[in-house]
Amino acid sequence: MIIRVLDPTNEKKPAAGQPAVRPVTLKGKTVGFISNGKEGTKGFFVQLERQLRDVFGVADVVWRTKSNYSAPADASITDEIKAWQAVVAGVGD
Amino acid sequence: MQQLSQIALASKTYEVDNFAAAQELYHNNGWTDGLPVVPPTESAVAACLEWALMPPDQLIGVEPVREQPITAEKLAINAVMAGCLPMHFPVVVTAWQAVLKEEFLLHGVTSSTGGCAILVIINGPVRHEIGANSTFNALANSDRATAVIGRALRLALINLLDVRPGGIDRATLGHPGKFSYCLAEDEEDGLWQPLSVVRGIPEGLSAVTVMAAMAPRQIMNEWTTNPREILETFAAEMRANQRHYSIYGGNYVIVVPKQLREPIQAAGWTKRDIAEFLYDRARVQRSEWADVGKGAVVRDRGETVHTALDSPDHLLVVAAGGPAGGFGAVIPPWFGSKTKAVTAAISACVDCERG
Repeated sequence: MIIRVLDPTNEKKPAAGQPAVRPVTLKGKTVGFISNGKEGTKGFFVQLERQLRDVFGVADVVWRTKSNYSAPADASITDEIKAWQAVVAGVGD
Repeated sequence: MQQLSQIALASKTYEVDNFAAAQELYHNNGWTDGLPVVPPTESAVAACLEWALMPPDQLIGVEPVREQPITAEKLAINAVMAGCLPMHFPVVVTAWQAVLKEEFLLHGVTSSTGGCAILVIINGPVRHEIGANSTFNALANSDRATAVIGRALRLALINLLDVRPGGIDRATLGHPGKFSYCLAEDEEDGLWQPLSVVRGIPEGLSAVTVMAAMAPRQIMNEWTTNPREILETFAAEMRANQRHYSIYGGNYVIVVPKQLREPIQAAGWTKRDIAEFLYDRARVQRSEWADVGKGAVVRDRGETVHTALDSPDHLLVVAAGGPAGGFGAVIPPWFGSKTKAVTAAISACVDCERG
């Protein structure tokens, strides 16, 4: 006996965001770090900043921390992103 | 309202040869929780919508972070899969309306490495209409209604918001409540106000409370009838959670079965009295973290006192459980007060009649 059943998924996916244009080089650029504020991010970002400056010639690194690590970045942080050429976010525990 | 046969559903359909083939279709597509599902046929889904007097495209809400719309039709499909009958559907709808409130922080709750589940607590006359059991084996397989309603929430998270393990769901460890986590309060056998009334819903209305919750932690104290002593056991378990899991204050549920609540009620204690007592007693000093291996984050704040509840209002006291046994449960929050428990009335259409 044929059974006709329904798709349980949303089918209509939200519009995907477009990836930003990738910089050809990081030399002289500003890179933003968006931290979730968790303990484990500190050592990671310290090391990453050193690498970015020493190896890739990054001019400036801006550190920002979300007010709630389980929620998207605050609007005041996302507003600043326009002034950066690269962002590192999504670093976990 | 359209008649059942006239309800036009928009979802994509699949034809399968039999029940077993339906199972493979849903499992292979990642549309289940690992257990068999009820095949969601058009007639079963339409029956849910008709019971709730909802057109298929009615918007239940929009998930605020990823902006995913939740429609009545898609929710009904997942409810049928979970085993819901049409009469269960309005409870599922209300639970979803509640979790979509901004203060619930659904995206954080469902994507966190701290693997909480969504606890659903049902109050009001609807408990009797759907046959929810508040007594024996509460919090587990106590009855059909709570089992399928809790499961419907999870299946809809999986299918409508991609909350799959390793996908949006990043939980390091989950707990069994992620299959189904639903409880109906025992409002009749006792003197306390129902949880929904305590939380502002008018008496006599049916309501749903949702909370991002860790697994229940059982306590036992059958050796006293002194309310303070009984509640000290609950307080100790809350403190244990603060020490071993999260020190920060948030919503806690305590489930109090008959054997423990009778002496508390006989002594004249209301739910508010309990909340104030536990607000006072469930607190730890940050320095205690050093006793359980977390000395690294005590730093210079050892004297800081952390309360399990930010205020007495944050305690959810629920009467439930079998008639005998000095057991109870503490259900801790996912993580502090980042998410808030939400209570919503199950709406009734005053101009509509079910035909």
